Order: sequence, then structure tokens, then C-alpha cells
Amino acid sequence: MTNVAANLPKIVRVIPRNRNIEALLLLFAIGINAFELSQVQLSILEVLNPEIFLYLLPPAFLAVILHGIMRLRASEADPMILPIALVLNGLGIAEIYRLDLGTLANGGTEVFGVKQVIWTVIAMAVAAAVIIYVPSHLFLRRYVYVSMFIGVGLLLAPMLPFIGLNINGAQLWIGVAGFTFQPGELAKIALTVFFAGYLVTRRESLAIVGRKIFGLRIPRARELGPIVTIWAASLVVLVLERDLGTSLLYFGLFIVLVYTATGRAIYVVVGLTMFITGALVASRFMGYVGGRFDSWLNPFTQANYDANGGSYQLVQGIFGMAHGGLMGTGLGGGIPHLVPLAESDFIIASLGEELGLVGMFAILVLYLLLVSRGIRIGFNHPDDFSKLLATGLSFVIALQTFIVIGGVTRVVPLTGLTTPLLAAGGSSLLANWIIIGVLLRISDSIGGGNRTVNL
Amino acid sequence: MSELALFIVRTGFLAVIWIFVFSIISVIRADLFGQKVVSRVAEANAPKVVSAPVAPSNPGNQSLVMQPSGSLATKLVVIDGPKTGSVIKLDQRELTIGRSEDSDLIIDDEYASTHHAKLILINNDWLIQDLNSTNGTYLDGARVGTPAVVKLNTSVRIGKTVFELRA
Repeated sequence: MTNVAANLPKIVRVIPRNRNIEALLLLFAIGINAFELSQVQLSILEVLNPEIFLYLLPPAFLAVILHGIMRLRASEADPMILPIALVLNGLGIAEIYRLDLGTLANGGTEVFGVKQVIWTVIAMAVAAAVIIYVPSHLFLRRYVYVSMFIGVGLLLAPMLPFIGLNINGAQLWIGVAGFTFQPGELAKIALTVFFAGYLVTRRESLAIVGRKIFGLRIPRARELGPIVTIWAASLVVLVLERDLGTSLLYFGLFIVLVYTATGRAIYVVVGLTMFITGALVASRFMGYVGGRFDSWLNPFTQANYDANGGSYQLVQGIFGMAHGGLMGTGLGGGIPHLVPLAESDFIIASLGEELGLVGMFAILVLYLLLVSRGIRIGFNHPDDFSKLLATGLSFVIALQTFIVIGGVTRVVPLTGLTTPLLAAGGSSLLANWIIIGVLLRISDSIGGGNRTVNL
Repeated sequence: MSELALFIVRTGFLAVIWIFVFSIISVIRADLFGQKVVSRVAEANAPKVVSAPVAPSNPGNQSLVMQPSGSLATKLVVIDGPKTGSVIKLDQRELTIGRSEDSDLIIDDEYASTHHAKLILINNDWLIQDLNSTNGTYLDGARVGTPAVVKLNTSVRIGKTVFELRA
């Protein structure tokens, strides 16, 4: 019977229904969040108090509502995205709460925890609205050019007089009536919709037309036109908003979508060369970008360490992570508040200190899984627009995570972007939960992609 | 709290978050390996196993291949090419195939024409008609000239894509 057992093409592993898997993983995720918060309280306050529920229950409640909505409206949606997002968001809230307790113990008053919970609730509610009110993934395709204008508008908004704000050297915020908002976060969604819609119609000419030189098909000049335009726009963003990360994010997104649409590596090579050249020239001629480069390459020199806007924050973050070592100090056991902006830009350094390398890798793997689910949705989807949209949205999360964590760990120059779902900040949470909502909506429409067809 | 208790909590948390990671990976694993598409004819030729969960209802591959399709066929299953595994329900009387985006089965392939072929339901038989495509449509290995009847579980190839009609 052994050779018969080897010939079993018909055995079909039957997957339990998506939503039941999701329910289990959600319970697990909520448990992890409760564990984090109690660990924080036990090690800082040494007792458990009901404040835990203030930070635990609102996101958990919203997650259960999202789960219920998906049971009714998107029952075939991917079961892993929501639990992963909830764990990352909860980990962020727990660390921010921990930093708040540290701040209060040291006599400070500026706390972010409650604000973060409120923004999480708003952002998850918007994600629920996306799942309910976006009837299908193709709905967005009708608004390709509208989203171009929205995207460019949002991107340029921080440069407007009166409402534009310059915080820590980067012109990325708008401020109205005391509230600050980073419109670039939402611009990335609008621009992904635009790029996906535009490339679906243009992919043929980008992929096939061109002369062959040495076996390489060189695209015609006019096919390169849009790439040059986006490249110029991203350099304008770099010069005017003074942020390398934002500019790299949009340009990288465009290049990846061109590559996904055409399958031709030459666009990636040309694009990267153009971007690196542009960034190097900018760093030579713009003091601000050059300073960031210098702090990145030589952070430990006394001059950079002491300089205003120099490498002090970066070096403190590195010391923090070194203090954490392999296993970390445990949530609440470290001193992450020594790093400026520990709750937003440097939350990954705080988590690295308290969870150690082991915990840091768990976080990175969670991002990897989130992104791989998104890319798999794109891969499985029968419709080209949705393919590009899902790939683009997941790649935005991947690239942004890389730019931020790479910045904190000195792989790339430090920039003003936020760690998706972890960092304190309303605009970032809102944008990333919208992305989660759209990905869930798209994954529901794959239709049979996750089931076996061997009926 | 004592040092020891804190140490246990701290290590325990790292363990729990990794267990979460691996439980997600195991779900993904089921997702990756749960999907398997095998040609029905090849399947019928494979040795039969009594305990096989999906035993072909018809004994012998002859009768399986020679069945008329017609209203029996309920779906189109792509078994090879970039869209392997996709299923299209045959609930219309006509199904268009090609590179153009309004096709029912969109084939993204340099060897497929914009409007490459279509399946039409006539007298309870599904017919494949080649719409004067550049690289042709192949029914069971032979190029389709005039519209031909597509039997159940017979492969139709367009470019790199191969599909079958199934009950």
C-alpha cells in the first residue's frame, strides 16, 4: 500500500471556514494585548488596576464588531489580517501606556495613551465603514483621476501658508485649530488607487513596446515620461517638505507598481538609479538632507551628537536597544523615555529595549506576515486593478516599515515617517486601518481563491 | 513583584507572541498546501484508493472523457497557466475569452489575442469558437477550426492557459 499512499493527488486539505479561524486568532490577539497591559502595570505600578480595561476593551470591542461585519458582508475575506493588525496596534497602545506611566512618574504631564485609544477606535470604525460602504473593490476604479487630485492635494497641503506646519525640520503636518494632522499618510492611499488605475490601462505599452539592445528591451522615451514625472514630483517633495522618507515612499510605490504591472526589471533598475542620484545631489546641496545623511553615517561623533537636530535621538535609541539586549528588559522594565519622541518616531526603539531582539523579530515577522497576506491577495485576485491595488497597499506598509525601522536601526537615514499601526499618531492609524479595510474588502472578492477547486 | 516572577512574565510574553506568530504561519501553511488542482483525466488514470475522499463517480476514464458536456457542465476550471486554480461558473449562454478586460476569462498572455475565443451553449452542448485568433485555440491538442463541441474534462489550451469544463 505504500506506493498507493504516495500517489494521492486527490487528498484535499479542507480549510475550516475563514471567519472561524479569524475568531480564534482574534481571541488570541486580545489575550496578548491583555498580557502586555498587565505586564506593564505589574512592573511599574506593582498592582493590577482596572485602568487596563480602558486601554484593552475599546480596540477589542471594535475588532469584534469588524469581525461581525465581515461575517455578514465579507465572509470570504482573509482571516489573518485583522488579528495581526490588532496585535500590532495593541502592542503600540501598551508601549505608549507604559511610556505615559514613566512620564507621570517623572513628573511629566504629556500623555498619549488615551488619545491613541480614541484614534484607534476612530480608525477601526472607518475601516468598518470601508468594508460596509465600499460595495466592491472595483468601486474605487471609478475614482482613479479624482484620487490623483486628492492625493497630490494632500501631499502638497503641508506646504500651504497658515495651515502648513514645520515640526522638527520636516514640513509634513497641517494644523487646524490646535489639531495636527499628517495628510501624507492619507495621500499614500489615494496615490496607490491612482497608480493602480493608471497602470492597468498603460501596462501593455509599458510592457511590450521598445527596442531591444543587447537582449534588454529598452522602453521608448515616451513610455518613460510618467516615470520621469513621478520622479520629479518626488524630488519636489524632498526639496519642499524636506523629508527623504516620504519622497522615497511614493517613488518606491510607483516603481513597484510599474514592475508588478509589466514584469520588467529594467524599470526598477532605472528608477532606483534615478532616485539615488537625485537623493545624493539633494544631500550635497541641501543642508537639512545633508545633515541627516551625516548623522546617519557618523552618529557617534561629538559634533553630530550635540548638534541641534543631530544624532542625539538616534544614538539614544541605539543605546536603548543595546540595553534591551537579546531578551529585553520586559515591558515596563526599561528606561525608554530617555529617547526623544519615544512614543511616536522611536516606538520601535522603545519596544526593542523592552522586548529585546527576540521581541523585535516577532514584530518584524508580524509585519512580514501582514504584508505577505496583502501580496497574496493581489496574487490571487482575478482582476488586474485589484491585483495592483492590493500589491501597492501592502507594499506601502512594507516600505514604510522598512524606512522607519531602518532609520531607527541605522540601515537608512532617519526620516519623519511613522511605524504603521504601532506609533502614536492619529493620521497614521487612520491611514493604515483604511488600508486594512480595503485589503479585507478586496480579499473577499477573490472568489474561491482560498478554497480548493478539486470538487 | 519578585525578580523571578517578573522574569517568568517577561519570558512568557515573548513565548506567547511567538506562539501567535507560529499559529498564523500554520494557518498560512494550510492555505498554501490546501489548494491543489489536478486534471480530471490524469486523476482518473491515477491508481484508485478506496479511502480517497474524492473518488471519481464514473469507473474507467473512457466514460469520463466521452460524456457530452452540455448542461452538465457547471463550471470552467483553469488547470494550467498564470490563473491556475480559478473557477468560472457557467451560468450564462456565452463566455468570452481573451486579453481584453471585458472578457469573462481574461488571459494575460502574449500568445492570446484581445478577443481570442468564446464558449457558446447550443443544444445543450458547449461549443468553443476561435475568433480568428493569431495563435489559435487547441481542443485536446488539436487546433480548433470550425466551432467544436467541448466535452467534459477535456483540456482546452489558449496560449499558456489550459482549462477544462467540469460538472
